[in-house]
Amino acid sequence: MDNNAVWLIILLPILGFLIQGLAGPSLQRKIGKKALGVLAVLPIAASFVLGLMLTQGLASQEHAEAVIVSGGSWINIMGLNIPFEWVVDPLSMTMVLIITGVGALIHLYSTAYMAEEKDFSRFFAYLNLFVAAMLVLVLGNNLPLLFIGWEGVGLCSYLLIGFWYTDTANTKAANKAFIVNRVGDWSLMLGLFLIVVVISGANIPVEDNRYLSYDAMLPALTTALKANPAMATAIALLLFGGAAGKSAQFPLYVWLPDAMAGPTPVSALIHAATMVTSGVVLLNRMNIVFQLSPTASAVVCAVGAFTALFAAIIAFGQTDIKKVLAYSTVSQLGFMFIACGAGAYWAGMFHVTTHAFFKALLFLGAGAVIHAMSHEQDMRHYGKLAKYLPITFGTMMVGTLAIAGVPGLSGFYSKEAILGSAIANSHAGQLSAISGWVGLGVAALTAMYMGRLAMLTFFGKEERWRKLPVAEHHDHEEGHDDDHGHGHALTGDHKPKEVPVSMWLPLVVLAVLSAGAGLILNEGKRFEHWLYPSGLSQLGELKHEVPNLEIYSYIAAGLGLLAGVLVYIGGLPAKEGLDETKWARWRSAAANQFGFDALMTNLFAEGGRDVAIGTSSFLEDQVIDGAVEGSASGTRNFGGWLQQIQTGAVRLYAMLMLLGGVGFVGYFLFIVNRGGK
Amino acid sequence: MAGFAITGELLFFVALAGLAMLSAVGVVAFNNAVRSALCLVLNFFVLAAIYFTLNAEMMGITQVVVYTGAIMVLFLFVIMLLNIGAPQLLSDKKDPKTAVGMTLGMVMFTLVALQVLPGLMSKTQPGAPNDYGSPVNVGRALFTGFVIPFEAVSILLLIGIVGSILLAKRRF
Amino acid sequence: MSGVPLAAYLALGLFMFMTGVVGVVIRRSPIVIFMCIELMLNAVNLTFLAFARYQFSPMVAGNSFREGQSAMAGQMMVIFVMAVAAAEVAVGLGIIMAIFRLRENIDIDEMNLLKG
Repeated sequence: MDNNAVWLIILLPILGFLIQGLAGPSLQRKIGKKALGVLAVLPIAASFVLGLMLTQGLASQEHAEAVIVSGGSWINIMGLNIPFEWVVDPLSMTMVLIITGVGALIHLYSTAYMAEEKDFSRFFAYLNLFVAAMLVLVLGNNLPLLFIGWEGVGLCSYLLIGFWYTDTANTKAANKAFIVNRVGDWSLMLGLFLIVVVISGANIPVEDNRYLSYDAMLPALTTALKANPAMATAIALLLFGGAAGKSAQFPLYVWLPDAMAGPTPVSALIHAATMVTSGVVLLNRMNIVFQLSPTASAVVCAVGAFTALFAAIIAFGQTDIKKVLAYSTVSQLGFMFIACGAGAYWAGMFHVTTHAFFKALLFLGAGAVIHAMSHEQDMRHYGKLAKYLPITFGTMMVGTLAIAGVPGLSGFYSKEAILGSAIANSHAGQLSAISGWVGLGVAALTAMYMGRLAMLTFFGKEERWRKLPVAEHHDHEEGHDDDHGHGHALTGDHKPKEVPVSMWLPLVVLAVLSAGAGLILNEGKRFEHWLYPSGLSQLGELKHEVPNLEIYSYIAAGLGLLAGVLVYIGGLPAKEGLDETKWARWRSAAANQFGFDALMTNLFAEGGRDVAIGTSSFLEDQVIDGAVEGSASGTRNFGGWLQQIQTGAVRLYAMLMLLGGVGFVGYFLFIVNRGGK
Repeated sequence: MAGFAITGELLFFVALAGLAMLSAVGVVAFNNAVRSALCLVLNFFVLAAIYFTLNAEMMGITQVVVYTGAIMVLFLFVIMLLNIGAPQLLSDKKDPKTAVGMTLGMVMFTLVALQVLPGLMSKTQPGAPNDYGSPVNVGRALFTGFVIPFEAVSILLLIGIVGSILLAKRRF
Repeated sequence: MSGVPLAAYLALGLFMFMTGVVGVVIRRSPIVIFMCIELMLNAVNLTFLAFARYQFSPMVAGNSFREGQSAMAGQMMVIFVMAVAAAEVAVGLGIIMAIFRLRENIDIDEMNLLKG
């Protein structure tokens, strides 16, 4: 398969975006929504097939070598060359398969989920654009192209979170996502600049002046940073800052829970499977920098572990099914960063892959439940749904077990890899081992809160929604183009129905993948050798054999699930019910993110506004206006003072002339001629 | 003072000069406009005499004819027409300008005198030929060497005539 | 005539000039101010003639204007000054007449329409 197919992989989703965006509404009238949906799925599926073929070509080689497909020149001035070029290597192909594969499934799911939307084509336009941007991010061979993709997915995330823009809360959430991401982007840009500075400062020649392309930059960067380890830490921390913004690590995680205001397929694709993993991709690309800086790696480990723990605790205080999954995502991303901090970058990618499967599955399943329950998202109104939604129930149970780390399913293997590498290695010093043990604890917590979710939704003693008031029958309006409340809320006489086939088919596929992928990929270090055929250049071969770790993992998963089942087997406990004043204090605090979000808002949003107002009133009104008006009034006053000479009286003028004459002659007499000859 | 003899010419000149100075002061000092005008007339006559001592006879005659004969008559006509004779028309208030003006005038006088005169004290003999001021010579110079300024002045006088007629008309 | 130093004529001319200047500053009637201006012009005339008579030309060597000509030049100046003075008086008094038609008194301090 010719590697130039990589252009097609990127261009097909862009083509889909253009068709959906420009011709969408008119096509919708002519061929109907179903056909339009198929038209939206097709480019992604085609890219997936092409990706498969390219991967096969790579995999057939003994040692998968990176192939660079070069396009034209983009920026080439003053000794800095940034061309358009794509890289076909195991890391990019893995991500391509995930993005297009899971993406195609989610597109298929969305054709049913968004079937009642008036802005059907707009949704798919954005979704296709997102896939295109994400592909640019992973396929680009240099950091600026990655950054273009980075910004592109940020933009699409903003557009999709605020899809139902008529509701202000959604637009605020979209703004928050974009702005918090910007903070990370700033850090990332500084890292990029620092890389160029360091390489050119050390006067190391780079092939063809491509200072930011991976193949040309990394060897030069290694040489430069070995001589200057402090710079390695600086660059690593800046890059991690960018990753923390995109991958929702503490303290830049605050946008992810609010992002649940978007439609559920968006949450599944963007905020579970693909965009939020961009940070891990970045760390994998630039892993040499982290290998050379144990300090930065320790920071990454610590932040990852803290985030994992923090988010897991908060998940216990959430009653919205999507919010639980959102915090779960944040927590699992923390795991991936623990792996990267410990030096086992491939383990982070492994978890990316398995997490994509089961988290997308969980989100789509939650979407199915929400769809079946008339868009009710509060778990306190669910209960005993297993008998009404069998397929959803089955697949979601597979996902829950996978994320909990039940042995045999994919999540177990990836978590094992992470925790083992973290505990067994000392690249990041003591923090690595501490993070590993913390991760083990979080695994138990994960099992417990996921168990909570499953029990509250599918099991329990009673169907809690029956307790809601029964609404009088009223006609549904056609169109449903207002907010996603869709005109009719959950009522007591609701009958949940299983979702259509285009929604449960992706669930089934993802369930199969969640179950089996781990086993297949873990055989004999296959994934590690796939991504890093020659091992890590600086750290060499990493250990991840920790005695008895498997047993501890079994115990953690088992205990967590057991606890979850036991606490919630009777349905909703009174202490977590609809009356929130009865909640335990820690739970209420957790529900409030322990005050962190409020702190951030007050400090930065309100604080920023105060600074702006202060600057405006001081600088603008007093300094600038004062200077301008001051010069005007000063001139006027001076003119007024001078005006007093113009009395119009001739005698005064004559006297002034005489005075002037005296002065003049006196000057000549005394100063020029020194008192006469 | 450099040595110069007290000759008759000097005494004559001193007398004329004294008269001129007195009448000049009189022009400024009198409240009555008519008396100022008459002092000025006297001043002009004395000047004409001084011109004669300088051997500039043509100039002396022209001074009498033009200045006293035309200009001062015009002044006196205007004074008569405007009825300015009465001194109470302009009662001077105590004006600082008077004191300041006189002081400045005296200062200026001393300054210029100090600047100019010391270097010229030695020059006591005239250098021009004695008939330089005769009408023949003046006329010759006027119509040969200085004919262009002469024509220009004639245009100026024409403009003056037109202007004064325009100003004097009652209705434009 | 010989025997009278040049400085004497110049001193007289200076005195008359200064008197005229002081008169312009002091007096408030436009007519008298005019007369003082005439006084000043006459002082200048006297100075010109004195210099013409005494042939005082500091630039002797290498000037195109021969010494002999300075006598005539002085008198020419005086003629022109007289002509200008005459024209000026005619027009000036015409202006004063025109103003007097509008106002009753002529006090130069009250003619301050140019104030600004």
